[in-house]
Amino acid sequence: MQKGRLDVEALVCTVVLAGVSFFVLYPILLIVYNSFQIARPGAPPLYSLEGWRMALSDAGMLRAVYNTFALILTRQLISFPIAILLAWLLARTDLPGKSGLEFMFWLSFFLPSLSVTLGWILVLDPEYGLANQLWNWLFGTQRGPFNIYSFWGIVWAHIGHNTTAVKVMLLTPAFRNMDASLEEASRVAGASPLGTLRRILVPIMTPVLMVVLILAVISGLQAFEIEMVLGSPIGLQVYSTKIYNLVQQEPPLFGPATALSTLVLLALLPLVVMQRGLIGRREYTTITGRYQGQVVHLGPWRRPAFALVALVALCITAVPMVFLLLGTFMSLFGFFHIANAWTLENWRRVFADPIFLGSLKNTLLMSSGAALLSVILFSLVAYITVKTKFIGRSILDFISWFPSAVPGILMGIGLLWLFLDVRIFRPFYGSVWLLILATVIGGITLGTQLLKSNLLQLGRELEEASQASGASWWTTYRKIIIPLMFPTLVLVGVLSFIHAARDISNVALLATSSSRTLALLQLDFMVSGRYESAAVVATIVMLLTTGVALIARLCGLRVGIRR
Amino acid sequence: MGFLRIRELRKNFADVAAVDGLSLDIDEGEFFTLLGPSGCGKTTTLRLVAGLEKPDSGEIYLGEPCLVSQSRRIFVQPEGREMGMVFQSYALWPHMTVFENVAYPLRLRRLKMREIQAKVVEALGLVGLQGLEERPVPALSGGQQQRVALARALVFSPRVLLLDEPLSNLDARLREEMRRELKALQRRVKVTVLFVTHDQMEALSLSDHIGIMNQGRLEQVGVPEDVYYHPATPFARDFLGKVFALSGRIAEIDERCLQVKLRLPGAAPLRVRRNSAVFGDAAAWGVGKEVMIAIRPEQIAVWDSAPGGRPNIIPATLKGSQFLGDRYEHTVAIGSEIRVITSPSRLVQAGEQLFLELNSDEITLWPTV
Repeated sequence: MQKGRLDVEALVCTVVLAGVSFFVLYPILLIVYNSFQIARPGAPPLYSLEGWRMALSDAGMLRAVYNTFALILTRQLISFPIAILLAWLLARTDLPGKSGLEFMFWLSFFLPSLSVTLGWILVLDPEYGLANQLWNWLFGTQRGPFNIYSFWGIVWAHIGHNTTAVKVMLLTPAFRNMDASLEEASRVAGASPLGTLRRILVPIMTPVLMVVLILAVISGLQAFEIEMVLGSPIGLQVYSTKIYNLVQQEPPLFGPATALSTLVLLALLPLVVMQRGLIGRREYTTITGRYQGQVVHLGPWRRPAFALVALVALCITAVPMVFLLLGTFMSLFGFFHIANAWTLENWRRVFADPIFLGSLKNTLLMSSGAALLSVILFSLVAYITVKTKFIGRSILDFISWFPSAVPGILMGIGLLWLFLDVRIFRPFYGSVWLLILATVIGGITLGTQLLKSNLLQLGRELEEASQASGASWWTTYRKIIIPLMFPTLVLVGVLSFIHAARDISNVALLATSSSRTLALLQLDFMVSGRYESAAVVATIVMLLTTGVALIARLCGLRVGIRR
Repeated sequence: MGFLRIRELRKNFADVAAVDGLSLDIDEGEFFTLLGPSGCGKTTTLRLVAGLEKPDSGEIYLGEPCLVSQSRRIFVQPEGREMGMVFQSYALWPHMTVFENVAYPLRLRRLKMREIQAKVVEALGLVGLQGLEERPVPALSGGQQQRVALARALVFSPRVLLLDEPLSNLDARLREEMRRELKALQRRVKVTVLFVTHDQMEALSLSDHIGIMNQGRLEQVGVPEDVYYHPATPFARDFLGKVFALSGRIAEIDERCLQVKLRLPGAAPLRVRRNSAVFGDAAAWGVGKEVMIAIRPEQIAVWDSAPGGRPNIIPATLKGSQFLGDRYEHTVAIGSEIRVITSPSRLVQAGEQLFLELNSDEITLWPTV
């Protein structure tokens, strides 16, 4: 009996480890391998260092890498102080309307970045952007100062979307859970509030801030669609768009693309190790949840602080949403003053389009499939790493961190080759299944970590008490573990659904015309300048993701912002 | 006039009055304890004194200067009050070593490195932690963390030391040890201490004066023996320890004493001092008034045969005994009522009769509820 159970457990563990390793490591190995071979796919292999030579000498390549890091650095420098201030205001002060404001940051997290970008284009386009028109009208100029198709436009689109919102979401609970007496002890010892912030609060929060920073750098490398839409028209390339272009051009240049990718991957590995180490050292983050202490009274600063937070919150939610919606009703995107400026034609046309209906079906199928597969796979991975004594559990844990370091575009190439190279996988090419697999791999780090931390909180005693009461391992799992894990499982499912529905970078290279999703359709529309149709699709994607998030929240789900 | 003076202090949280018009005088060098159950407002009072909360009204003075006055719009920030504080959670900063934690208040006061070094070593010596300067604080045991917190609070010679249930996170044995050390330390340093606890044992053993708090108000202030043996309110009586109580009626009143006839057939009336009544003069209550007599169990002597010629003897029947290590606890029947008493030694067998002698000086007289 006992023996039989152990064997089943070992078998399940081995299968999960083998499967995850194969689909995560094999594509990465393919990328490294292909950087040394320059033959076209299908042709006999031809080994050469030509790819590496091009990657290291081509000015465009180096420029793209430089742009990537310049963009990341710029927006982190701007958004970090803002996010720290906002999180502190939301968590530690008597700011009015805190829960409503926090909700807006939460909402912003679920907005698809491409939809948000489209909303901002309407405001900041150099020709017809509303902000520029307002400027011209006010100052009588011919051409306004704002241009979203620029370095600063890209920075703005990021800051006005996830870059700030994610930080606020991650930092607010960290600030809130910090033991207030650590600050109070410093005040009583003779330090001013600012001295306390500098000497106590920031040093204690450093590990949390580091984790957020590393996450930000990694997700900065993942960034693709905003740069694609805003950078390409002015020839501003970043690492991810460069790879996309190298692979999409005819003939595709896999050599330099993969060599470049290998370099970035090597640069990212230390970050992954560091992040894993920091998150593992729990006790240092001093989240004790003890006496919560007094909130800071802002006094006369209450109103200005509220105005500031509300302005940021509106900028990252209402502004892009409202303008995106406006855009869907315009006969010519951005032109408010022409005759018959407003129309329902865009909605009618898109809904009559069979390509749209096919994409909608693909999106729903892919997102639901990804949600289901994620919940099953991630809970298995989390359970194995936390609760079993399986020999390979730490390897499995480490591998689950890999995809967070591999930009989605890159993982896409790896999976593409995997499915073209390995004969038994070839029939899946061009199907929605491939996209499901790609987005699930892309989301494995976050999903597994969420479930792991939940499992770690379930003390061993809960299981042992059940077993002592006479329940078998399987009954315990069903009656104790799953019910206690249920809210987190739903959370992972919802996050995976939303991640899949708006995902572009993971699937951009894998989708064919038959498996195209709404997000990709929107990208196609935007790249080909059909902004009116793009706005309609963007609105639908936005409704889909925020709708699912809101329903989940109504059902009592809290994503990261509350304990 | 006291050194630390609190006048009519009020603090509401939402609609609940946490501190409800509290006034208090603490002398310089005194060990003063606020004792009360959780939620009685004692910690809030301490935080108001520290400046971590702002009162809704009232004033706090330290020596001459006023620290807080809502009516005069004075509020000295915590960092300006020169008070040392030990938090219940110790609040040691995890990113600093023991030395850095203790040196922090001195660094803020811009002392020279040599002075800081000397003072930190001295403070750590005072709490018995020499040689642990370079340890990171998460690596210390609970007792050691507590000592570091104490050293940090004392290192800059504060005018007042505030202690917020500092012993409550320690295990029983360590708590007793720390209690003795804390008292010895205070005698040596001669700092004024405001101590907050819910443990009557800590309060009674450490304090020069105790203030018993309930629902945001002070019920009684006095020296430990006084509040223990002569509680001023039913709350103080019940909170401070076990009570042996019997009801009866006033049978006779003379110049010094009054006689209380217990509801117990065949027992002689109890002699009680006239001034032992808690509310007003017992004589004024008049003969025939229903009263309750109360006494701490340890003020009862137990005899196995009726001692001749002594007053205030009550016969009882032993129902059972429990050995508690340092004493025995007996359940006895007095008439139809069951009471618990203690004695240092084993008594008669269960079911046999014994005699309780109530010390007439220690009986307090209460109106029946």
